[in-house]
Amino acid sequence: MEDNNEVNEVDLTDSKMVVPLNTWVLISNFKLSYNLLRRPDGTFNRHLAEFLDRKVAPNANPVDGVLSFDVIIDKGTSLLTRIYQPASADAPQLNILDFHKPVGVEVLPVIIFFHGGSFAHSSANSGIYDILCRRLVGNCKAVVVSVNYRRAPENRFPCAYDDGWTTLKWVNSRSWLKSTKDSKVHIYLAGDSSGGNIVHNVALRAAESGIEVLGNILLNPMFGGLERTESEERLDGKYFVTIQDRDWYWRAFLPEGEDRDHPACNPFGPRGISLKDVKFPKSLVVVAGLDLVQDWQLAYAKGLEKAGQDVKLLFLDKATIGFYLLPNNDHFYTVMNEISSFVRSDC
Amino acid sequence: MKRNHQVSCGGGQNGGNTSVSNSSKAKIWEEEQESGSMDELLAVLGYKVRSDDMADVAEKLEQLEMVMGSAQQDGISQLSDTVHYNPSDLSGWLQTMLSELNPIDDVLSNSQQQRQRQKQKQIETQSRVIIYDDNSEYDLRAIPGIAAYPQSQLQTETETTSKRLKTSIGSASSSSSSIEPRPVVVVDAQDTGVRLVHTLLACAEAVQQDNLKVADALVKQVGTLAVSQTGAMRKVATYFAEALARRIYKVYPQEDSLVSSYSDILQMHFYETCPYLKFAHFTANQAILEAFATATRVHVVDFGLKQGMQWPALMQALALRPGGPPVFRLTGVGPPQPDNTDALQQVGWKLAQFAETMGVEFEFRGFVANSLADLEPSMLDVRPPEVETLAVNSIFELHCLLARPGAIEKVMASIKSMNPKIVTMVEQEANHNGPVFLDRFNESLHYYSSLFDSLEGSSGPSEDLVLSEVYLGRQICNVVACDGGDRVERHETLTQWRNRLSRAGFEPVHLGSNVFKQAKTLLALYAGGGGYQVEENNGSLMLGWHTRPLIATSAWQLASPSPSPSPSPSRLS
Repeated sequence: MEDNNEVNEVDLTDSKMVVPLNTWVLISNFKLSYNLLRRPDGTFNRHLAEFLDRKVAPNANPVDGVLSFDVIIDKGTSLLTRIYQPASADAPQLNILDFHKPVGVEVLPVIIFFHGGSFAHSSANSGIYDILCRRLVGNCKAVVVSVNYRRAPENRFPCAYDDGWTTLKWVNSRSWLKSTKDSKVHIYLAGDSSGGNIVHNVALRAAESGIEVLGNILLNPMFGGLERTESEERLDGKYFVTIQDRDWYWRAFLPEGEDRDHPACNPFGPRGISLKDVKFPKSLVVVAGLDLVQDWQLAYAKGLEKAGQDVKLLFLDKATIGFYLLPNNDHFYTVMNEISSFVRSDC
Repeated sequence: MKRNHQVSCGGGQNGGNTSVSNSSKAKIWEEEQESGSMDELLAVLGYKVRSDDMADVAEKLEQLEMVMGSAQQDGISQLSDTVHYNPSDLSGWLQTMLSELNPIDDVLSNSQQQRQRQKQKQIETQSRVIIYDDNSEYDLRAIPGIAAYPQSQLQTETETTSKRLKTSIGSASSSSSSIEPRPVVVVDAQDTGVRLVHTLLACAEAVQQDNLKVADALVKQVGTLAVSQTGAMRKVATYFAEALARRIYKVYPQEDSLVSSYSDILQMHFYETCPYLKFAHFTANQAILEAFATATRVHVVDFGLKQGMQWPALMQALALRPGGPPVFRLTGVGPPQPDNTDALQQVGWKLAQFAETMGVEFEFRGFVANSLADLEPSMLDVRPPEVETLAVNSIFELHCLLARPGAIEKVMASIKSMNPKIVTMVEQEANHNGPVFLDRFNESLHYYSSLFDSLEGSSGPSEDLVLSEVYLGRQICNVVACDGGDRVERHETLTQWRNRLSRAGFEPVHLGSNVFKQAKTLLALYAGGGGYQVEENNGSLMLGWHTRPLIATSAWQLASPSPSPSPSPSRLS
């Protein structure tokens, strides 16, 4: 018991030294609340989760050059997406109709965004993700479509992927999102944590069905496997995340009875499928050097490379999880720049 | 961390000089950080932490980590089962959890002492387990939750008091953006009635510009187009078109007393069809119950008695109190009736009968008044707080007062002079009271579209649905066709009401996670479709359709007279 506490004290100091104080407070607060929500029996305190989550409403009035509105794209599953568009403050006030007016740009990147939360937490209207999407719009001069996908443990694999796929098809068929250059919708998939995992899996479906995705952006994507890797053991509990909590989320998301070598969790593992000769989008994989699942993320990038796919790996040495939530560190700007170049390479 | 960065994080479409504005923005927020105000980056995310307090908040997080670490699963279970309040106030939220795990200690005492006391506390909590149990054989409306019944007089009361009454920083602050936000949620359908809505908006614009000939032509077009529509869009468009027509032709709806009794019936159908009123009553009753706590004599002044549908559930809950029910007095206010029938007494009589079956000692008084501003507190027979605990309740009544200058201020003053323990209010979450007609039109079009959308999925008799729509249609008519003293549907947002109440000398009483949870359970029971959402907002609760909040429940008490912000305010009774 004593030893544990000593280790705990060291842990807390470690993470406090590598991030600004307000970032430390933000992420520690999440860690604390999330600890209260996960029950040992695998159930989730959803009511408390929704109570604690800080949400924001959409705003059709431009704020800092971005407006947003929500669209229910599938009444059956109540699937909601939040759409963010560039808009200047002095433009005439938009009404319901103008939203479907063509954005009318020669090359318009449309980024379908999947928020993180390890498949269980957060929503498209969570404050942290609303602000991130707004930043992406300004940064990339893109339209962002944030997907409010169904979450675990109430909705296991493949619900989140299904919702992503539904959204992809919907976005692809919106005439008002087409780039005027080629009358097509220029689609990118982006996501952090579980969102990154969803990006990969939705891209797979797109590849199988012939819908073109121009690029995948995976920010600290959530992957794993049965094996315990070196980074997992080395960083366990040191920077906000523990192996134990990772295990819990996989048990909550994967089909009951499945293990972490399920291809959804471990795409290049023993049960993974080969991506050789698959028309898969180019990928930008961002790995935080203090994220304990980095070995799996690096293995993912390697797997893509081995399959002859176009992948750019961005390894951020002293970054922790959630570094992109606040614009108060170098990594944030590095990544924003990279994402911008990535989606604007053909503009 | 002073930087000069080139990335644009919010540039406009033309990608202007964003790098310049960003670095100056960065300088501004850095300066503000130093001057000791709210941390802007966290504020944007919904967390209110003063820059000066950041280190202290960090320390609380560390302490909680340590205490939870040693308590292990018991600590976690205890904290997840307890009632939480106002998560935006991080410091307050963390402190109450620390107090929960170490109620007697000064939190800065050394860790060994903490661990020892933690063990003691665990033994204590085992015997005084508070279980918030939703499994009840009763109709949910009648069971507000055991949180309302303090078991251990001393400890629970101080704990729940300090949690609920903690004056959080910036809880009454106005919205940070200078332009009001416009929350829009649309349902994507094949046929969204684009032409129909376009024509409606063009018509409203013509009315705004006093171009009545054009408006007349357009409103006729709307009528034609509406016929070929289906679903919520058709209904909403029809009501808005009718309202526009009335405004154009100056044929205003009559607001006589015959109509007001009819409106009670309409409201009952609205009550049956959808969860908004049930939510309003339930959440207000929760706050009232918690305020009443163990009082032996209680009095509720209901600013809009109507059919008295809120009160059976409260009486049932009072009857279930461990020590037995208090003596319950209800004063109901209502408008004059056409045939001089005493509608209020009739409702009072029905409630009295119910009270008898519940074993609750009950007294009723009705007050007829054209406007709440006509009420004098002396008429209401308010007794001193030591004798009787008072709750003032207003469900969708206060906004009407905004039609008469001075009325709301008078009513606020009246409430204050009554010295209530708690004031509960529910209002529409929308600004339909702006100075510009076209803005009101736009806002209300979006608002009622969401509301009608939510009704589409309702099961139950179609008569209920139709009459609910008529009920809402009358509101639409009032917002669009009327003006001056006749326009009573002057809805304002929670932010606006917070400012008003705060200026009038009230402070918030927070609704906690127990109410939130049971409100959600209520929705699961009464609202078939998955679209209804409950949201916590700085101590208030909102019910909305998907991500669009539509009504808000808030609770208030008289602000403490002392100027210094007290960290642990005492109970008022």
